[in-house]
Amino acid sequence: MLKNYFLVAVRTLRRHLGYTTLNVVGLALGITCSLLLFLVIQHELSFDTFHSKADRIYRINVDKVTQHGPSYSAGTPYPMLATIKASLPELTPATHIFNLDEGTITVLSTNDKVAPQRFREENNILFIEPEFFDLFDFETGNVNAKQAIAAPNSLLLTSTIAEKYFPGQNPEGRMLRLNNEVNLKVTGVIPDAPANTDLPFIMLVNYENSKKINLFSNDTWNSTSSNHQVYFALAPSASVQQSEDRLNKITSELRRLSPGEKERYTFQALSKVHFDDRYSNFGDRTISTTTLWAMALVGLFLVLVASINFVNLATAQALRRAKEVGMRKVLGANKTQLMVQFLCETGLITLVAVLLSVVLAELLLPFLNKLLDLQITFSILNSPAALLFLLAELLTVTFFAGFYPALVLSGFQPISALKSKVATARTAGISLRQALVVVQFTICQVLIICTIIVHNQMEYFRSASLGFDKEAIVTIPFPSGQAKKLMALRPQLEAHSAVKNVTFAFAAPSSNSNFSMSFRFDDYSINHNFNLNFKVADEHFVETFGIDLLAGRIYEKSDTMREFLVNETFLRNVGITNPEEALGKKLLVNGGNSEGPIVGVVKDFHVGSLRNKIEPVVISTWSSLYFTVNAKIEQKDATAALAHLKKIWTSAYPDDVFYYEFLDDTLARFYEDEQRQAHLFKIFSFIAILIGCLGLYGLVSFMVTQRTKEVGVRKVLGASSGSILVLFSKDFAKLVLVAFVLAVPVSYYFMNKWLQDFTYRIDISYWVFFVAGALTLLIALTTVSVQALRAAFSNPVIALKTE
Amino acid sequence: MIKTVNLQKKYTTDEVETTALVNVNLHVKQGEFLAIMGPSGCGKSTLLNIIGLLDNPSGGEFYFLEQEISKFSERQRANLRKEYLGFVFQSFNLIDELTVYENVELPLIYLNVGSAERKQRVEQVLEQMQIAHRRNHFPQQLSGGQQQRVAISRAVVSKPKLLLADEPTGNLDSAHGQEVMQLLSTLNEQGTTIVMVTHSPTDADYAHRIVNLFDGQIISENVKELATL
Ligand SMILES: Nc1ncnc2c1ncn2[C@@H]1O[C@H](COP(=O)(O)OP(=O)(O)OP(=O)(O)O)[C@@H](O)[C@H]1O
Ligand SMILES: [Mg+2]
Repeated sequence: MLKNYFLVAVRTLRRHLGYTTLNVVGLALGITCSLLLFLVIQHELSFDTFHSKADRIYRINVDKVTQHGPSYSAGTPYPMLATIKASLPELTPATHIFNLDEGTITVLSTNDKVAPQRFREENNILFIEPEFFDLFDFETGNVNAKQAIAAPNSLLLTSTIAEKYFPGQNPEGRMLRLNNEVNLKVTGVIPDAPANTDLPFIMLVNYENSKKINLFSNDTWNSTSSNHQVYFALAPSASVQQSEDRLNKITSELRRLSPGEKERYTFQALSKVHFDDRYSNFGDRTISTTTLWAMALVGLFLVLVASINFVNLATAQALRRAKEVGMRKVLGANKTQLMVQFLCETGLITLVAVLLSVVLAELLLPFLNKLLDLQITFSILNSPAALLFLLAELLTVTFFAGFYPALVLSGFQPISALKSKVATARTAGISLRQALVVVQFTICQVLIICTIIVHNQMEYFRSASLGFDKEAIVTIPFPSGQAKKLMALRPQLEAHSAVKNVTFAFAAPSSNSNFSMSFRFDDYSINHNFNLNFKVADEHFVETFGIDLLAGRIYEKSDTMREFLVNETFLRNVGITNPEEALGKKLLVNGGNSEGPIVGVVKDFHVGSLRNKIEPVVISTWSSLYFTVNAKIEQKDATAALAHLKKIWTSAYPDDVFYYEFLDDTLARFYEDEQRQAHLFKIFSFIAILIGCLGLYGLVSFMVTQRTKEVGVRKVLGASSGSILVLFSKDFAKLVLVAFVLAVPVSYYFMNKWLQDFTYRIDISYWVFFVAGALTLLIALTTVSVQALRAAFSNPVIALKTE
Repeated sequence: MIKTVNLQKKYTTDEVETTALVNVNLHVKQGEFLAIMGPSGCGKSTLLNIIGLLDNPSGGEFYFLEQEISKFSERQRANLRKEYLGFVFQSFNLIDELTVYENVELPLIYLNVGSAERKQRVEQVLEQMQIAHRRNHFPQQLSGGQQQRVAISRAVVSKPKLLLADEPTGNLDSAHGQEVMQLLSTLNEQGTTIVMVTHSPTDADYAHRIVNLFDGQIISENVKELATL
């Protein structure tokens, strides 16, 4: 029986190759996209799930409540681990991890004749306790990693880095120098960290060494850095709530919180780390579950659009199969048997599409990886999950795309089917077909609208005024704590005509590294329950970045904090309306160690991404916290300026590697994730429209064939080609309109929600919707016209003869 | 084998009601060869379709193999159909995507006949109908007469007790028509009961008995002299 179904299916499909191709191509495109999205989602969901204790590993986060809203951080105080070890035995194994996200490595040579080699690394170097390996299950090859990392100056290299530093040699026992500070001995080479971890690393170093590298490292409870985090496993019998309470109680004395300040240590399950964007992680990337749902939805949409094509084309052409259905029924086939037959046929088409999409997905994956900056690998035979997904997709698509046509076809009455008198059965089909086309148009329009809005928001990110100048400014980091060497060379740095301004600073005005502190203001009687965002920089900062000075003057040159500039938000927060009024008022910061007057007020500028509000800012000098030199250069002489800066820089730091980045590139990285989402949206909207067009094309070509005689009669009666075109286009234009009405509220709702993530955002303007509507109409009518023109220009005499 | 008592059929489409059969009382005996004649639109096909269990009557009783089946469901009728009935149509109704062999095989597939037996029975019938040499051709590659022989092969391969033919020669020239009638005649001699609708008196001559329909009613029956059999 199945063989017979199969034969008929193959022959029917081959006979109507155009129709088959449309269906297979549409389905294959849809399934390919859904498979790729599945792989992305699967990859994101797999983060750190490979640790055997994954379900009871937690990270300690700090949640604060201030009068200006909550703040969240994953950075924990340095003494945390010692406290846990002493008082919370149920938190074990436990490790703190210090993350160095860039560093200079010097490979020391074994003999004096070879000069040491230097590398600048911008990937994570993690400083860990040996217990790290009890907690996490990273592959360590045949190295006993826990033992190998135990010695104070030990270092584990990943194999890629080992090959980079010591090509073809055995690195074991060799010495490396990190940031020109500490000497480390390679005690083992382990496999590269997997792509799906939020604790990525290129090398692992014994934790002790971080104290020499990390300037802030100290033993107080008042200082935290998001680069210092604590992970532990909770004993299976312990309760999260109780242990959390105990930790907060034990540490409440140590923390010396000011009155009114509410701060709580919370345990965050490892499984949440990758998806909660309130806290950063060492991989520097989280993805919200909303985004994952959006991806899943887009994948579903694409398959849906393709399946609708199938339903529409199949029901439209049902008549063609009527005689066969009738005859099979006469021969005693029952309805179920016929349904099975037609479902098998759909299954066959879907199977071909699935096979095709496996090949397509493998071909396209590298591009997707590049687009999303991921390292997903896919080989169908090695991924049972993907195999299962495809099988499930095969079955559901077959069912959803095949069920209705099968129902229609198998429901034909044998006698009328044999007489091809099944036209009556189709009247119901027409309205369903229209409904399905509306669904397709709606999906396409929603995607187009979303794409335009996301694109506009991206443009806004690029072009919004930040309150400072970001053009042609180059940021150059230098070894920490060594600002003085380069500061002494200021005259030389400025000596080139293409270098206009130079400032030494902690970071640029807007940056990922922010530095905040509590403070006392004026007569110190009021306890201001908010932190200040500190911009530590020399006296050229305001000028170099073109920040507007509203009142007073710039602070004097100094190595420590003596005078302060504040921004408008600060004034608002402390209740001052007139900038002049703030001048001369005192500020006490740095744990009570630095005091000085406010000498000037600057206009508000953005301190981070446009996702966040402008914070109260204080700018002052503190030369030991300068980590970058920022130069405003002449754009057209950029190469010469950079060469000049490099020359001077290298003369100051001969043992380090010169590196620079343009500020606008740094700022663009704030929005990398959104940018990627925007690209993804664009591509998938395009594909959705493409699939929709394929279906439309097929549907119209069928209608044209079916109405050839009608068109012939109309033309004989004097209808123009234009009016024939209108005849076919009119119905579809109506459907686009109905879809438009549905698409507007849906996309408005979702995009409005998406935009809420950004404090600074565009308004959704009306024209976006109309552009999307018009675009869909244009695309739909073009597709319709290609086929309709064939009818319009056909010779009526031939058309009538063929009947 | 078949007995109808006051059989009625009405078609209701939208507001129009057509009465296709009015109180038809017909008896067909095992082994009989019956021809139904009458002007176009008088209800011949309707009657044949009811006898063939392709349609339900709207009134009266209908006995098939001594069972009253006018209230049977589509599934029950389908089961009786594949077991006891064979059909031949004016327009052949072969499935274009299947070869001659596969078309003839189809009823046996629906009857769940094992593949070895299927092969043997199909071959035998193709030989008998002298179409075996075309077994791998598709319907469009055959002449009308050949197509009708394939259709008859398909109708008889399941060894039906009753063969129904609706104008089997209607699309054929007279030479091919006679050939088909010869085949039907032979089948009848071998024991198959046949009910045939026809416009052609020549064809009707092959039958034992002729029923004339007019406006949905039987107006006359003529049984042939035994001598002419
Ligand atoms: N499905 C149907 N719906 C409505 N009326 C029908 C239907 N089928 C047949 N009729 C009507 O029933 C009557 C009998 O039709 P039937 O097909 O049985 O005639 P016929 O004797 O076979 O004619 P012909 O010699 O032309 O084949 C006709 O008036 C026809 O219009
Ligand atoms: Mg008829």
